Amino acid sequence: MRPRKLGFALVHGRSMEPALHEGDRLLVLYGARPRRGKLAIVRLPDDPAGCPRPLAVKRIFGRDPEGGDGWWVERDNPREGLDSWTAGVGAIPAAGIRARVLLRVPARLHLWVPARLR
Amino acid sequence: MFTHFFAAPVQVSAHCDLPCGVYDPAQARIEADSVKAIMEKTAASGDADFKARALIIKEERSDLVKHHLWVLWTDYFKPPHFEKYPQLNTLFNEATKLAGAGGTKASWDVAVADKLLAKIEEISVIFWETKKAA
Repeated sequence: MRPRKLGFALVHGRSMEPALHEGDRLLVLYGARPRRGKLAIVRLPDDPAGCPRPLAVKRIFGRDPEGGDGWWVERDNPREGLDSWTAGVGAIPAAGIRARVLLRVPARLHLWVPARLR
Repeated sequence: MFTHFFAAPVQVSAHCDLPCGVYDPAQARIEADSVKAIMEKTAASGDADFKARALIIKEERSDLVKHHLWVLWTDYFKPPHFEKYPQLNTLFNEATKLAGAGGTKASWDVAVADKLLAKIEEISVIFWETKKAA
């Protein structure tokens, strides 16, 4: 089993609106098993040009429909971003599911998140 | 000591492969590619939940193809472009129809998605010619 660690994450972009917005801070648990319908921090496959994509936050739809050990992930915003339905992305291998999102840190508590993310 | 329990903070993106606010036919192509991939994956799947979800997503992404094409048609291309490329209006009309209810929005036929992708490619060729000329 992978070691579990807590961490904070800063949200960029609009693909998880309306659940998450630009600048939101999340408390996440690395190494936690993903849960259907919940948010997760995932490593997307490299883009078609072979460049690595940044870590992303997506919603877990369920297991890989093709029966692998991976997970099918979705964006919340139908108008923007990437997800498993995007050609070339598909299911995220289990090793690419990095953390489970535990909660969105309320703005009044942002002083308590690490300075780098404030 | 907190490093034992706390990982380094990270930034997580709601990532797009293309910058926002920039005209590029690749936006329509990425979504049309996805529509085609959805058709292929769904045909191969025996999972009823997945198929039900795929139906909704395919409609959404087909609408998104239309949206991206409309942005190019109405915002990017200017009257001189339509003079130089008289086929342009027809191309957009045919491409958006292929993404609509008579096209990939309702159909599960990969050939329809291929036709849509071919139209987007024709528009893309013209788009990049006008970019070079600008």
